[in-house]
Amino acid sequence: MQTKSRYAAFVDDAGTRFRVDRAVYSDPAVYEAEIDAFYEGGWLYLCHESQVRAPGEYFSTLMGRQPVFLVRKRDGTVGGFINACSHRAATLVPYQSGKVGTFTCRFHGWVFGLDGRLMKVKNEESGDYAVDPRAEFSLTPIPRLAIYRGFVFGSLRADVGPLDDYLGPTRPWIDLLVDQSPDGLEVLPGSSTYVVRGNWKMQAENGVDGYHVSTVHRVFAATVSNREAKLGLTGMARTESGRLTGNVASGGYDFGNGHMAIWAQHTDPTKRPIWQQKERLASAFPAAKVDWMINRGRNLYLFPNLLLMDNPSTQIRTIQPIAPDRAEVTVRCVAPVGESKAARSARLRKFEDFYLTTGMATSDDLAALESTHVGGHGRTARWNDFARGASAQVKHGAEDTDGAGIGSAPDAMTGNWDHEIMYRGFYRNWLRRLETHA
Amino acid sequence: MSLTPMSLPRFDADAATLVWHEALLLDQKAWEAWLALYTEDAVFWMPAWKNELETTTDPENELNLLYLPNRAGLEDRVFRIESEDSYASVPLDRTTHVVGNPLVIGEEAGELLVAASWLCHVYGIRGAFTRGGRYDYRLRRTPAGLRIARKKVTIIDDRLEGPVDVFHV
Repeated sequence: MQTKSRYAAFVDDAGTRFRVDRAVYSDPAVYEAEIDAFYEGGWLYLCHESQVRAPGEYFSTLMGRQPVFLVRKRDGTVGGFINACSHRAATLVPYQSGKVGTFTCRFHGWVFGLDGRLMKVKNEESGDYAVDPRAEFSLTPIPRLAIYRGFVFGSLRADVGPLDDYLGPTRPWIDLLVDQSPDGLEVLPGSSTYVVRGNWKMQAENGVDGYHVSTVHRVFAATVSNREAKLGLTGMARTESGRLTGNVASGGYDFGNGHMAIWAQHTDPTKRPIWQQKERLASAFPAAKVDWMINRGRNLYLFPNLLLMDNPSTQIRTIQPIAPDRAEVTVRCVAPVGESKAARSARLRKFEDFYLTTGMATSDDLAALESTHVGGHGRTARWNDFARGASAQVKHGAEDTDGAGIGSAPDAMTGNWDHEIMYRGFYRNWLRRLETHA
Repeated sequence: MSLTPMSLPRFDADAATLVWHEALLLDQKAWEAWLALYTEDAVFWMPAWKNELETTTDPENELNLLYLPNRAGLEDRVFRIESEDSYASVPLDRTTHVVGNPLVIGEEAGELLVAASWLCHVYGIRGAFTRGGRYDYRLRRTPAGLRIARKKVTIIDDRLEGPVDVFHV
């Protein structure tokens, strides 16, 4: 078991401490193994259903190194295929997203239906084929596709368990977002992709790092407070920042399978766009669920490539590893279908304030991540420490009455988002997946 | 936006001077003087890309890279920079703007519509980047002289590296 010992040496999980070798953020062999095991070897988030609404609408992306596209088929279901002509591998769509009647290869003119079947071979009659090409050369589907409440996931390996089992106790957390409108969610037009000059796991960690908030983002809180006082803003024009400066109820979750989350109490939920819908929500859902939806800011990370955030605004953030020291992150604003014009506008302004590399908080996160990437090359200092919360009252599964209110039983939970228990779950899963991947 | 039809764009020395002056003040990091070029109700808008060909066009329903509905939004940015508490802004990147082709392309409600192209070379701890795009200004005549009532920045780059604040574009 030489392979096993290689990865196990990166994680020091000895009882009272939890340390991770900083080489996991830069070692090329580790990176290649991660792509094989996680990004090309298991469930991965691909897109939201609202991005492929009508038949022929497609969205192209990557699964690890492999180009794929999703398409709404004529029967109304979502299909997914390797984005390569079955003839000589030319990609089939020139744009990241669009709408087509058929997929026509621009290299030799082969035509595929929305269901991936080869419909036309240019000059088929004179091709002197020994086989029937239209029977032989359909597009290769993504082996597994499944949708949870509008979120489309796929796996390049067929031998994975059901998506519902994979998502496990994160499903009620996804519901907290989806149930904000009876008609579900929609991804709004416009997105931004930024490059992280660092390892993809840094973005995963940062997305559920409560501990950095009161240092890295105190300037954001100071800036919006200054603005609101100066302009005398009221209602949704303000931005909730109480949770940025600390001293609010909070928590951190290890959901198993590498999934993680944090939450923090909003000091003034009336600033949130969803506040307008509190009465409808109260009549539709149990009080505990409505409390989670309205009063708690939440960041949910789904291993390995998705962050769902419901804080000042609502976001789908995807992580695409490019190299050990490079990742591309795409952010999209997702919103409840049918919300008021005022709520939609406020949601967008809060998103732009905080979440982009042109915003006033994500840009600071990126600078922090990139400085850890530089510091991590100081190999003489070997370990990253995840010990916070080691002696805390950590609850497991059914002990978490707070999460039980929405039907979510975690692997472990702590009532302080400054704690690092979720990272222990992340790296235990990381190790297990690398060791068992074959 | 409905433009007053013009047979040809024209060069206007006052408009060009204002556009070039702004670039100079940004590169000098002369924040107060820079803010003073804007009217209090000035809109600063940088749309996001919707696909390979189109930016977003409707700030009330679509995402933007920046949409600041008044000058206070620009003042926020200066507040954050001057706090020296922004991870991304310490140390502050060096910039040099080159603004070309400033042309008056129309006039609306007495305000000049000015189009220009820009390149900004940035150097900082993350390395050197050159980004570019277009400016669409709306300039208002005030007793104090021409002022910026609206600035739309189209950045042609996607996959942005490093922070992109109001002074990087």
